[in-house]
Amino acid sequence: MPSSEKKIATIRYAEYSAAFKYLVEQGLDCQFIVQPRMTQRTEKIGEKYSPDMVCTPFKTLLGTLIEALEAGADTIIMPNGICRLSYYGELLRKILMDEGYECTFINLNAYAMSGKPKDWLNGLKSVNPKAKMSHLLSAGVETIKMVEYLDEITFEYYKGCGFEPTGAWQKAYKHFIAAMYRADSKAAIEKAYNEAKQTFDSVPLIKPPHPLKVGIIGEFYTAVDPFSNREVEEKLANMGVEVHRWMNMTHRLIHYPGEKNLNVEIKEYCTYEMGPTSTANIWAAKHYAEQGFHGLVHIKSANCTPEIDIVPILQQLSAHYKIPLLVLTCDTQTSDVGLMTRLEAFYDMMEAKGRQLK
Amino acid sequence: MRQAYMGIDVGSISTKGVIIDDDNQILSSAYIWTEGDPIGAVKKLLHLLEADFPKEAYEIVATGTTGSARQLTGVVVGATTVKNEITAHAVGTTTFYPDVRTILEIGGQDSKIILVENGVAVDYAMNTLCAAGTGAFLSSQAKRLGIEAEDIASYALRSKHPTPIAARCTVFAESDLVHKIQMGHSKEDILAGICDAVVANYLNNVGKGKKIVSPVVFQGGVSKNQGVVAAFEKALGCKVTVDENGHLMGALGVAIIAKRSGVRKTFDFSVEDMEFRTRDASCGRCPNNCEIVCVYRGDELIDAWGNRCERGAIAVKNQA
Repeated sequence: MPSSEKKIATIRYAEYSAAFKYLVEQGLDCQFIVQPRMTQRTEKIGEKYSPDMVCTPFKTLLGTLIEALEAGADTIIMPNGICRLSYYGELLRKILMDEGYECTFINLNAYAMSGKPKDWLNGLKSVNPKAKMSHLLSAGVETIKMVEYLDEITFEYYKGCGFEPTGAWQKAYKHFIAAMYRADSKAAIEKAYNEAKQTFDSVPLIKPPHPLKVGIIGEFYTAVDPFSNREVEEKLANMGVEVHRWMNMTHRLIHYPGEKNLNVEIKEYCTYEMGPTSTANIWAAKHYAEQGFHGLVHIKSANCTPEIDIVPILQQLSAHYKIPLLVLTCDTQTSDVGLMTRLEAFYDMMEAKGRQLK
Repeated sequence: MRQAYMGIDVGSISTKGVIIDDDNQILSSAYIWTEGDPIGAVKKLLHLLEADFPKEAYEIVATGTTGSARQLTGVVVGATTVKNEITAHAVGTTTFYPDVRTILEIGGQDSKIILVENGVAVDYAMNTLCAAGTGAFLSSQAKRLGIEAEDIASYALRSKHPTPIAARCTVFAESDLVHKIQMGHSKEDILAGICDAVVANYLNNVGKGKKIVSPVVFQGGVSKNQGVVAAFEKALGCKVTVDENGHLMGALGVAIIAKRSGVRKTFDFSVEDMEFRTRDASCGRCPNNCEIVCVYRGDELIDAWGNRCERGAIAVKNQA
């Protein structure tokens, strides 16, 4: 039995909810509520209560919080983070209160202001004073491991799943994600990870000698969250493309090489930092171009200023390296049909060019 | 019996069709309005195509569909190839203009730019959230001024001093236009201003950041408007080629793609007389409520789409 009555929830973001859940259950000894998967309804209710010109992730996040409260949560932990996420916590809280939703809203940004990890941990622990700091620390380490595994397996999956016709990879991937939500120990995490790895290693791929390779770059939320980008990765992979995406929590938050280290490698394209993921995206685009990828897909949400700003640089890079660039803007109103037209045309273009080079 | 290939392009405003032979020569072509009824338009189109088509000498062995209604049309005519309109336009244009470097295309509701190097498309862009500066805008403004869309050019080309019109957004352009009318500008100057506005909007949206290199080919319904062609030549400072079959380029492209694909299935004009209908069904298995479209031939369900996951998949029996 958890030592606290509280029912905790947080925002939904790709499959990272599994890691949040693990941290709350194992580290804070509280019950965690996972809201349903995002649907069009999530966006609709988020949109209804959000300012129109705010970026799309804000609307989606608000929708996921409302759905968490509907699912029975009474306490929301709002993570702090890059870009405007730290500022959004307070805005989201105000909107929820104004609309009459009742909950305890813990904005971790309030504890991150001092810059001391200890303050932040104390803020997290304030959710349940009975929880032991030693538990929180060990669960924290395991949570980080889980995030790394989630990112690693997801990367492997989209890289290969387009060349695996039997569906064994997809089954293994879904099984792995489900296991992460169920995990209650380090051993359970390791077991699920090893099983997924084993399937990926043992089920052969039917891959041409030079498959088309696409690098996905873009904004931290929309490029990573499959619901928000209308499953671009899955759609591209199903056309028979090797899909690579550097951007994820592991690379941007846990093992971020650092603004300066990345900037040094893209000096010819940009001098200054332009936004939380701008340097990393330009760096990743250049990296993909140098490795001979066949195309770049840049995914951003509507009204995302930093990512709009890097488009001219990406266009320059695309001209230099002769690598086609597709810029996708995802909105709450984006239709699947228009997206498919663009992706199909992009595929045809890469394929025709590849044929010519042979 | 010689072989022939058919291409059908069903867009938001117009429906285009061609039948070509092995040398890409047009045997029969037709261009009609879609009028919000893609299935009806395709049947009418087939009727027109059949009239000119030398049936005794040729057999249609492959059929391709493109345009925003490509999936629906593909099911109705039993297409061997269903291709997006960007690829269709690129293939069509590069076949007839192997040296082309830039393809400008403005249709009823969308506009695109395709950059070509060595005969293959290397970059493209398509308008996203806004339909400003497309054919729909031109025809609605012509209507406001009480003239036919076809006559815009004859007015615009007479103008010596085009009226500047705010081109960023259709709604703003419209209010600016009304203002200019009330100020007493002549119809000629206003229509020339609209043509300039279409070009400015195009170059600032889809053309943003794209290097436009000559030779330039301009197509889509709007390319039939000499006023816009002149405005493009003025803005780009180079010659802009308009093919006499430019409005059919998507259909030609997809016919060529169908020919190249090697998939063969003899087309039968009898679909003209078949009854097709579509029905919307709401999935309801999750809050997404995907709108699933079911297509029937007579009473038989022949295809369904619109679901975002396998829960909404509808099994189709006896799929041809």
